[in-house]
Amino acid sequence: MNPAEIAENASAPPLLIRGVVEPRLEVHKFRPGAVVGACFFALVLQAFVPAKVWKGEIVGDLLELPLLVTLYFGLSRRNPARGLLLGMVVGMLQDGLCGASGANPIGLFGIALTLVGYLASTIGARLDVEHPASRVVLAFAFFYFHRLAYVLTNRWLLAQNIPWMNGRLLAASLVTAVLAWPLFALLDKLRQDED
Amino acid sequence: MFEIATRRRPYVLLAFALLFQILLLAVQIKRPDGARLIRVWAVELLTPPERAGAWILDRLGGAWSGYIGLVRANRENQRLRADLGQMSLRNSELEGRAAEARRLAALLEFRDAHADAPLLAARVIGADAGAGRAVYLDRGQHDGIQANMAVITPQGVVGKVLEVYSTTAQVLLLTDKSSGAGALLAGSRSQGAAKGTGEPLLLLDYVSNDQEVAPGERVLTSGMDRIFPKDLPLGTVVEVRPANPFKQIRVRPAARLDQLEEVFVVLSKKQWDWEAAQAAGGKPEPAPDGDRSRTGALSQQAKTGQSKSAPPAAERPKDQP
Repeated sequence: MNPAEIAENASAPPLLIRGVVEPRLEVHKFRPGAVVGACFFALVLQAFVPAKVWKGEIVGDLLELPLLVTLYFGLSRRNPARGLLLGMVVGMLQDGLCGASGANPIGLFGIALTLVGYLASTIGARLDVEHPASRVVLAFAFFYFHRLAYVLTNRWLLAQNIPWMNGRLLAASLVTAVLAWPLFALLDKLRQDED
Repeated sequence: MFEIATRRRPYVLLAFALLFQILLLAVQIKRPDGARLIRVWAVELLTPPERAGAWILDRLGGAWSGYIGLVRANRENQRLRADLGQMSLRNSELEGRAAEARRLAALLEFRDAHADAPLLAARVIGADAGAGRAVYLDRGQHDGIQANMAVITPQGVVGKVLEVYSTTAQVLLLTDKSSGAGALLAGSRSQGAAKGTGEPLLLLDYVSNDQEVAPGERVLTSGMDRIFPKDLPLGTVVEVRPANPFKQIRVRPAARLDQLEEVFVVLSKKQWDWEAAQAAGGKPEPAPDGDRSRTGALSQQAKTGQSKSAPPAAERPKDQP
């Protein structure tokens, strides 16, 4: 399906950006339970793998699977409302899992991922994010956007002076960006419209 | 429906999602003092409106109470003004009574000091409506008052009874043009005749130019007129001018003739007794009632001012008019 066909079949009106009519980008649909299952597995991996599998290893701290899942579904579904709701739910669940170890009150990651889901959906509705390189760049950028939201919320509400950036965070951002490439490709397999 | 709502209003949904999570965080987060953040926010959020509401209510209440207070203050002011008027009236009344009490006390003291004198207290009830200087007393013939009786106050001589009615009497004041009294200077004991001039001051006549008279010297009754007891205060010399053949001496009456309220009437009978006592002490013999004409003549002489060359009554023979 080329962009011209997508534009002809779309029921929604074309998007207006600065007065220019652009061809409508594809809105991907996923298999039933794919979104929920993917998010569930991402959370499980994020919460338990670092603690049980890679215990004490740096790779465990560098994983940001909920961020990548939220980013992927936001970019793919291109619906800001759905994206922010998904980000909120995933983030709050992540808070809940981290809260079990006493790290986060519920809502810290929720706010950050809500913003990520909204922004990713908004960007996905305007840009073609199917290219692997753009996905890597977006994952890298959204890592810091997520970090910015997290630190701001943490400093504002918890008055905790956590760092904006350090070497570990830089490594985590690179790991996240690199991991986005295979992970997004894997998640592409769950798309319903590509079957 | 959800699709439409979420497509049309993603910003609103984002705001709600963020707000929900922020509130959720505020519920969980505790401040170092133990207070939950949501409670701190609630207090900080609600306190300013409550404070503003309280401020507005205070102002409104203050304005309302101030208005009510003004109304009450106005009513109270009117009531206080009325009370003040009544109090002023009452005060004036009490002052009048106090002044009356003081006058009556002075009268009583004077009466006690002259317990042997036949004094009859009387109240001035009216003044002469004409040009003459006379007053009316609330005592008359029924009280034993007769014509030509002396009328005095503790301060001095007032005048004499001119007309007597059943319950009232007319008193001719010393300042009347037709009034007069035998007088003597307290210092030199020089005698003369005090005459009314129709003015506030009396004229002391028949004092020779050789006599030293100074302003401020007291003038007493001489008793020679057989109306006024001797040595009652008549007045004070205020002006002395040489004249021919006698000095012209102006005397201010001792009694405040313009402020008369209570007076004493010297009953004539006692007057003659007093003169008899004087005679027993080397003073002139008391004259019979018929001799009142002599006193009357003296008074008449003083009144009319006849024969300024004539000697004072005390120096004249009794049969001399």
